[in-house]
Amino acid sequence: MSRRRLRRLLPVLILPLLAIAAWQVAIWVAAPREWMLPSPAAVAGAGWEARERLWFHAQWTLMISVIALIISAAVGAALAYVIARSRMARLAIYPWVIVSQVIPLVALAPLLVLWLPPFAAILVLAVLMSIFPVIVAGVDGLGAAHPDLIRATRGLGASEGWTWMHVRVPAALPRLFTGLRMAAVFVVSGAVVGELVASDRGLGALTRLSAGQFETPLTFAAVVLLALIGLGLFGAIAVAERLALPWTRRPTRPRS
Amino acid sequence: MPAKGVQVPHGTDIRIEGVRLALGDDPPMPVLGGVDLHVPAGTVAAIVGPSGCGKSTLLDVVAGLAAPDAGSISGADSVALMPQRDALMPWLTLRANIALGAELASAPRDDVGRRADEAIARLGLTGFADHYPHALSGGMRQRAALARTLLAARPAWLLDEPFGALDALTRTGMHDVLRDLMREVRPTVLLVTHDIAEAVALADRVLVAGPRPMAIVADIDAGDGADPAHAADAVMSALRTAGALA
Repeated sequence: MSRRRLRRLLPVLILPLLAIAAWQVAIWVAAPREWMLPSPAAVAGAGWEARERLWFHAQWTLMISVIALIISAAVGAALAYVIARSRMARLAIYPWVIVSQVIPLVALAPLLVLWLPPFAAILVLAVLMSIFPVIVAGVDGLGAAHPDLIRATRGLGASEGWTWMHVRVPAALPRLFTGLRMAAVFVVSGAVVGELVASDRGLGALTRLSAGQFETPLTFAAVVLLALIGLGLFGAIAVAERLALPWTRRPTRPRS
Repeated sequence: MPAKGVQVPHGTDIRIEGVRLALGDDPPMPVLGGVDLHVPAGTVAAIVGPSGCGKSTLLDVVAGLAAPDAGSISGADSVALMPQRDALMPWLTLRANIALGAELASAPRDDVGRRADEAIARLGLTGFADHYPHALSGGMRQRAALARTLLAARPAWLLDEPFGALDALTRTGMHDVLRDLMREVRPTVLLVTHDIAEAVALADRVLVAGPRPMAIVADIDAGDGADPAHAADAVMSALRTAGALA
């Protein structure tokens, strides 16, 4: 690793290192039982020992999160387009999309489990918890194209439909990706809530099972892994954004 | 020397008669108060007037982007509008931006790239074709916007303060670029500006617009035979008479 990258990485690590240090100090001072609060070393040890079990559950959570994120991205973007394009849809659908977020979605979980097979219930919950930022960012983005861009193309004979596909949609992409990055984080929470109530598989299920058996170090290890999955999805969206929107990278201005 | 591959049809007059338009609802604000003008094919007319007098609205009406309340316009489907800001798509390279003009002119697909390359060379943008607009200077972006307008292959151009966002030096350079291009392609041009020197330098005639609701109050010759200083003075005094100078 180059020195420059190291220098950029170090500040990022300050807070977690401080937190782990404080955690260790608390263990030394208060000496709690391990099932109440295990030491960082105990968590690492338990995580390593149970690595195969953790990986088995992590795959499940990761798979559900990725599928739900893809559904949220596709359905959310399509809904955003319809809402932005049609006045009727804006009046009929958009207010209810917003109202739907007032319902604590976690409270829906037991109902979904009642109505759907476990896999579908978890998927629906993860989609419901992640689709909102995609829709809102998409609708905002589709209205964000600069009027001059519309005027310039309409003034060269472009039809209304052409400007939607060639001006408004590309102009909406940066904001849409912002929504997708938020969705990438929320989708993991949705999957975990679903697994907590509806599944024997997945890291959400593992936290429930391990905490119930006072295997607290394993619970901690599962939580750490969940955070890593969230970070990974966030990072994947950020990479996709860089690849899809090369113009948002700012090269230096050529000298003329 | 006519530019190869750049074929712009000739012979469209821009003719506007009695155009009125009010915008807003409560109450409607008259913006265009009966505009009459005629730009003969292949000539350049500049409209000079105070800011906010409705010049851009008039261009929108001529381009068919806004419908007038009264009056008639001929040639609406043969104009290409170029707005004040370059209005290049930030997500397209310079070449793709310029090619949009040809695409919108329904050029054959395999011909679009060739036409774009010719326009790039014609406007001195070779070497910058693969850059995104934000990496280019204002003058270069404006050249690209001109290239796109050229490729739209419309016989009449509506230029809405095309160089208003440029610094004075770049603007003077762009005047030469545009003058050469117009001499070569011979479009019918309606140029809106608030820069009297620019109007006199580029146009055959300067039409002076009064304050809102807009009407043309003077028609001043600024062609090759006219004395530029004299024409500028005439424009100035017409603006003063119209009460357009604050």
